[in-house]
Amino acid sequence: MIFDFWGSHVTVPSDIISAWILTIILAPIVLFWISKKKKWPLVREYMITTNHRKIGTMYILFGVLFFIRGGIDALLIRTQLAVPENDFWVFQNDKYNELFSTHGTVMIFFVAMPLLIGLMNVVVPLQIGARDLAFPYLNAVSFWMFLAGALVFNLSFFMNSAPNAGWTAYAPLSTDTYTPSAGNDYYIFGIQISGLGTIFTAINMIVTIFRHRAPGMKLTIMPLFSWSTLITSFLILVAFPVLSIALFLLMFDRMFGTGFFHGGVGSPIYWQHLFWIFGHPEVYIIALPAFGIFSEVISTFSRKRIFGYPAMVLSLALIGFMGFMVWSHHMFTVGLGPLANTFFAITTMLIAVPTGIKIFNWLFTMKGGVISFTTPMLFALGFIPTFVMGGVTGVMLSAAPADFQFHDTYFVVAHLHYVIIGATILGVFAGIYYWYPKMTGKQLNEKLGKWHFWIFIIGFHMTFLPMHFAGLQGMPRRVYTYQLGEGLFEFNLISTIGAFLMGSSMLFLALNLYKTHKHSPNVGNDPWDGRTLEWTVSSPSPEQPFKKMPYVSELDAYWYAKLENEDLSEANDTRPAPVSIKTIQPVILSGLLFAMSISFIYQWVWLMIITGLAVLSIFPIRSLTSRNEYVEKRVKHE
Amino acid sequence: MSNEKSSEHYNDKRLGFFIYLIVESVMFATLFATYFVFTSEQSTPSPTDVFEAKSVIISSFVLVLSSATLLISEKGLSNKSPRLIVLGLVITFLLGLGFVGIEIREFFTYINEGYTLTTNVFLSSFYVLVGLHAAHVLFGTIWMILLFYQLMANIPFSLYVEKQRIFHYYWHFVDLIWVCIVIFVYKPYLF
Repeated sequence: MIFDFWGSHVTVPSDIISAWILTIILAPIVLFWISKKKKWPLVREYMITTNHRKIGTMYILFGVLFFIRGGIDALLIRTQLAVPENDFWVFQNDKYNELFSTHGTVMIFFVAMPLLIGLMNVVVPLQIGARDLAFPYLNAVSFWMFLAGALVFNLSFFMNSAPNAGWTAYAPLSTDTYTPSAGNDYYIFGIQISGLGTIFTAINMIVTIFRHRAPGMKLTIMPLFSWSTLITSFLILVAFPVLSIALFLLMFDRMFGTGFFHGGVGSPIYWQHLFWIFGHPEVYIIALPAFGIFSEVISTFSRKRIFGYPAMVLSLALIGFMGFMVWSHHMFTVGLGPLANTFFAITTMLIAVPTGIKIFNWLFTMKGGVISFTTPMLFALGFIPTFVMGGVTGVMLSAAPADFQFHDTYFVVAHLHYVIIGATILGVFAGIYYWYPKMTGKQLNEKLGKWHFWIFIIGFHMTFLPMHFAGLQGMPRRVYTYQLGEGLFEFNLISTIGAFLMGSSMLFLALNLYKTHKHSPNVGNDPWDGRTLEWTVSSPSPEQPFKKMPYVSELDAYWYAKLENEDLSEANDTRPAPVSIKTIQPVILSGLLFAMSISFIYQWVWLMIITGLAVLSIFPIRSLTSRNEYVEKRVKHE
Repeated sequence: MSNEKSSEHYNDKRLGFFIYLIVESVMFATLFATYFVFTSEQSTPSPTDVFEAKSVIISSFVLVLSSATLLISEKGLSNKSPRLIVLGLVITFLLGLGFVGIEIREFFTYINEGYTLTTNVFLSSFYVLVGLHAAHVLFGTIWMILLFYQLMANIPFSLYVEKQRIFHYYWHFVDLIWVCIVIFVYKPYLF
């Protein structure tokens, strides 16, 4: 559609107009609903909270919201690809580029990350007997920075300038020479800000796990989800700063005229190195926490201690460590030479070993166990064959000569969805069903949960299994159409039907949430007959848990105490704990960062200066106000 | 009880801040790598054409000295002597400010000679790395102003000590990065 806008003609595609109209209709309805239900105090409470469970819940809530957005992108992609030479709505050429770029970026940074960090937030402190994270204020800052980044990124679509250089933003396409519109600036600032938030979360988690464990809980008997969180946090510490600097340099290229990643003077390959030095560990950053969730779920619902606990911890660490030595397997076709390709092929193949150890240990945990097929357990069981299939194609791709054929085809698309959906998304669903009582006090409906699982897993395999074959037929990624005679039609049609099936499974989750909150009563502390400390506190978890601090002497101590019909022994010396406070500062910081990003994207110098100074002023404000709260607490303590 | 509480809390903060410094190290390491990738004698202008030894020597002297003068303050913290604390902080503050001034002068000299951010990729990576470091020094000087204020305001002395100790870690870290800059950025082309 073409509009007259202050005398100049502006073309706005109809999908963006529809999105604006939908938003303008929906926003008042939501606001009205909140007012009618008198939920504004609740909204305010969550905005000023620093409590780990509430922040974790918000992470998950917004993760799900962006999951819907990324999912709609996926369905639009599949609709465009359903039949050969399709002409669906506006999604051809550059609009299609925007579609897959936002789908990938949203799913990795604004779905996988917040969903997992949300679960970590809710669970890790409870699981290790901490009363909150070590730095509750910083935790709130992390969340609100994530949200600011996500909003910046999502705004790009509404401004008709969605990023269009892929989620990897490969140079020189992502430099201003080839994509001069604001789209990739939104990408830079959206990810930069939420990425810094992620770094702060990692710091918070490490300090919490090192210094706030319950008395007696040595690292060698710490539950595996907490272990996976610890190792993931270390990966974040090394991977995310590299991304920050890569984005920082790309920003200089796009806004201040440097040429780091330009062909000729600079080096587009250098971008690829930086991106994948971040990007490959990122794959493990979103997979390892899921592994941790499966370890908890499989152990609980097999009524057995996890098999080979030391091997499980060691393989987490090994995967994490080796994750930094494989990045160039994304770049086999770049021409780094046979020596480099051989090195990275071998390290990539080696990483399958610790992963295989984990798979076997999960199987051996179930062997001889009393298995109950609950919804979380189903997701864990669905994960094992799915992830093994993704692992097998991973080993296939790691063979550099073969990769020359697979590279940039749908075979890679199939592989990456098998491992990322297979691990992260199935893991997140397992985790949400499993820990829902700790978040809300209610247990999700099992029958609807099983419907959700079966339709999701069938739809998933229907979508992605045929992509292997389409890829082997030579179908390239990131191309918006194909011809009839290429032998791709059947595979694509099946994929599209599968994608809609997978999408429709989410309706069961929505129905489940609705029914559970409408009808279900609250459950007790321990609805699943769990093994770890989070099941000793009430559901939902209180703001000050562990009034009596338990003493933990072994792995699954709570389970063994239950077997003996005893309570966990109480520890008498507990360390002082952080107290959650109420503060609006993180929200303000988030708003300022949002405004600063916009001012940079559109180069409004005056706004850059104002918001930049305002962001800096948050440091002294926090430093001066935290003192009072600290003194009050101390007085109260004495 | 209150002492134990505050020290546990401080140990949390210190560990968190050390981890944050690891994050910063990775960021700077990436920028050093960028500098290595894009810098060679063959680029025009080359590092030898651009760098001037005098400015580097003076600024290095000033910044290393500022790390030393901060030790006066450190002694004041242990001896509970506000006089020493203020003395150390004031000297360090002035030296930090002096360093920023020298850096700005150096950048201006280069720019006036026609060596700007966009002249070539060597200069781009130089300005981004050294500029980010200078920004850290500037941030540190503003931090010191905040510390002055907090020392004057009536906050518990033990709490003030914690706040300033964290600042010391920051300042020494920034100084260490400067040493790396001298060794890896300037030295191969100057001395």
